[in-house]
Amino acid sequence: MLRFLAGKILRALATILFVVTFAFVVLRLSGDPALMMMGPEAPPDAIAAFRAAWGLDQPLWRQYLDYFGAIAQGDLGVSMRDRKPALGLVLERLPITLALMLPALAVKLLVGIPAGIYAALHRDTWIDRTTMAFSVAGYSVPNFVLGLLLVLLFAVNLRWLPSSGAESWRHAILPVIVLGTAGAGILARFTRSTMLEVLGQPYVRTAIAKGVPWYRVVNWHALPNAAIPTVTVVGFMVGSLIAGAVVTESVFAWPGIGRQLVLAVSQRDVAVVQVILLLVAGSMVASNFTVDLLYGWLDPRVRTAPKLEP
Amino acid sequence: MPADATANSAAPPPVAAWRRVRRALAGCPLFVGICIAWLVGTVAVALTVELISPYHYAQIDLRARLQPPVFLGGEWRHFLGTDELGRDVASRLFYSIRMSLLVALLGTAIGAAIGTLLGFVAAHFRGWVDDLVMTFVDFQASMPFMIIALSVLAFFGNSLPLFIALMGLFGWERYTRLVRGMTLSAKEHGYAIAIRQLGASPWRVYGRHILPNIASVLIVNITLNFPEHIILETGLSFLGLGVQPPLTSLGNMVGHGREYLQSAWWIAVFPGLAIVFTTLSMSIVGDWARDRLDPTLR
Repeated sequence: MLRFLAGKILRALATILFVVTFAFVVLRLSGDPALMMMGPEAPPDAIAAFRAAWGLDQPLWRQYLDYFGAIAQGDLGVSMRDRKPALGLVLERLPITLALMLPALAVKLLVGIPAGIYAALHRDTWIDRTTMAFSVAGYSVPNFVLGLLLVLLFAVNLRWLPSSGAESWRHAILPVIVLGTAGAGILARFTRSTMLEVLGQPYVRTAIAKGVPWYRVVNWHALPNAAIPTVTVVGFMVGSLIAGAVVTESVFAWPGIGRQLVLAVSQRDVAVVQVILLLVAGSMVASNFTVDLLYGWLDPRVRTAPKLEP
Repeated sequence: MPADATANSAAPPPVAAWRRVRRALAGCPLFVGICIAWLVGTVAVALTVELISPYHYAQIDLRARLQPPVFLGGEWRHFLGTDELGRDVASRLFYSIRMSLLVALLGTAIGAAIGTLLGFVAAHFRGWVDDLVMTFVDFQASMPFMIIALSVLAFFGNSLPLFIALMGLFGWERYTRLVRGMTLSAKEHGYAIAIRQLGASPWRVYGRHILPNIASVLIVNITLNFPEHIILETGLSFLGLGVQPPLTSLGNMVGHGREYLQSAWWIAVFPGLAIVFTTLSMSIVGDWARDRLDPTLR
C-alpha cells in the first residue's frame, strides 16, 4: 500500500514539474520579456537594467530555479493589462465559474449515470437506442452551436430567458443546460458500457443462477463494480471544473475564468494565462490523485496485484 | 482475424477492393448510410469548392447586405442569404467546410502518426524509454487540451501552420496507449516471432506485419478522434483564436454570425448545422465501424 501511495505521489509531482517546466520553456521561447514589457524602442541601458532587475541576465538554469522559487512562494507575476497580481485576478473569478460549473456537474451526474444504468439494463430495446442516440448527440454537438441554438430559441424568439450576462440565476439556466448536455452524454455512454461489462461477468451469472432477485443482483453485485471505472470519468470532470467552460462562458458572456482565459490569450496577457494553466494543472493533479487513492481503496486488485500489462 | 487477410495480400486488385467496400456497406443500417452520404457530400464540396461556389468567399457586395435565404423570400443568386458585408453565405460555407475538414484531417493524421510511432517506440525499447513515453501520455491525458492549446496560442501568437501543428498534438496519447498495448501482445504472437527470427528489421516487423494487424482498432480510433478535432478547431475559431480572417472556417462563421443572431440568424445557423451534421455523422459511422471492426468487443 505504501509503495502504491508513493508511486502515485511521485507521479503527481512529476506532472506538476512538467507543467511548470512547460510554462517556463514556452514563456522563454515566446520572446524576450524585456522587449515585450518595454517595447522595441526602449533605450538599451534601460533594457539592461530591466534584465538585471528581473534576473534575466542570469544563466538559464538559474532562471529556471528562481522561477520555481517564485511559484513556490505564490509569486505568479503581474497582469500586463491591469498591473495587479495575476493570481488575485484569477481567484476573483473562481466563484463565478463555480456558480456555473457545480450545477452543471450535478446535471451531468444526475442525468448521465441513471440514464446509462437504465440503458444497460434495457439493452437493445428502443429505450436503450433512444438514450444512446441522445448521448451521441449530446457529446457530438459542440457547446457553442448548442448554446447559440438555445439562445436563438429561448432568448431571441420566445424571450423567456436572458441571452448573456450573469446578473441572476436565470442567466445561468442556458449555460448549465449546455454544459450538462455534453457531460451527461459522455457519462451515460460510459456508465452503460461499464455496466454491460459487469453484467457479463461470471459473478453476476453466478448470482442469477443461485436465485438472487434481479434488483439485488443489480444493486449489490453490478452497481458497485460498475462504479469503479466511472470514478475516473467523474474525477476528470471534477478536476476540470475550473477550466471546463472556456467556450460556453464566452457564448453567454459569463464573466468566469474561462472567459478571462480567452481574453488573456487574445491580449497575450501571459501572466494571467500562466496562472490559469498552473491552477488547472494543480486541480487536475489533485483530482487524479484522489481518483487513484479511491481506486486503490475501492478495488484492492489495483494496489496489491503486480503491474498488469494492458 | 480478418485483418490477417489484408496483411497477406498487400496489393489487392481494385475490383476486389471495390467489392469489399460494397460488401461492408451492404450491411449498414439506413441511418449509417445517410451519415456516410453526408460525409461523402462534404468531402465532395471540399474538393470542388472553386467549381460549385457561386462567388469568392471574400467577395463583398454592399448593395446586397443581410439578404435572407431563398425560402424566406430571398433571391436564388444568394440561396443561403448574405452576411453584413453582402458576402454570399453559401460560398463562405463551402470554403469553410474545406478549411475545417482540412485542419481536422491534418490534425487527426499528425496525431495518429505521432501516437502510433511513439507506441511502437515504447513497446520496442521498454525500460526507461517506455516509462518516459508513458509519463508524457499521462500528462497529456490529464490536462484538458483546450487549456494547453490556448496557452500555446497565447505565448506564440497564431498562424495557420502553428495552429495545424497544435491540432496534431491533440489526441496522440490515445494512439500511443492502444499501439503500445497491442504491440506488446502482438510481439509474442507466432508470426511476429517468426519474422524476427528470419532476421527482419524492426521497421519491417512493425510496419509490414504488426501495423496491418492492429490497423482496424486504429482506424476506429481515428473515426472517433476526428469529430473531436472538428469540435476543437471550430471551437477555437469560434473564439477568434483559431483560423484567422480573411481565411474562414465553420467556427469563424458561427462566431461572427452570432452578433447578427437577432436580425440575420442564417449567418450563424447554417455553418452551425454543418458542424453538427458532420460531427454527428462521423461519430455514428465511427461507432458503427467500431462494432464491426474492433475484435476486442466481440
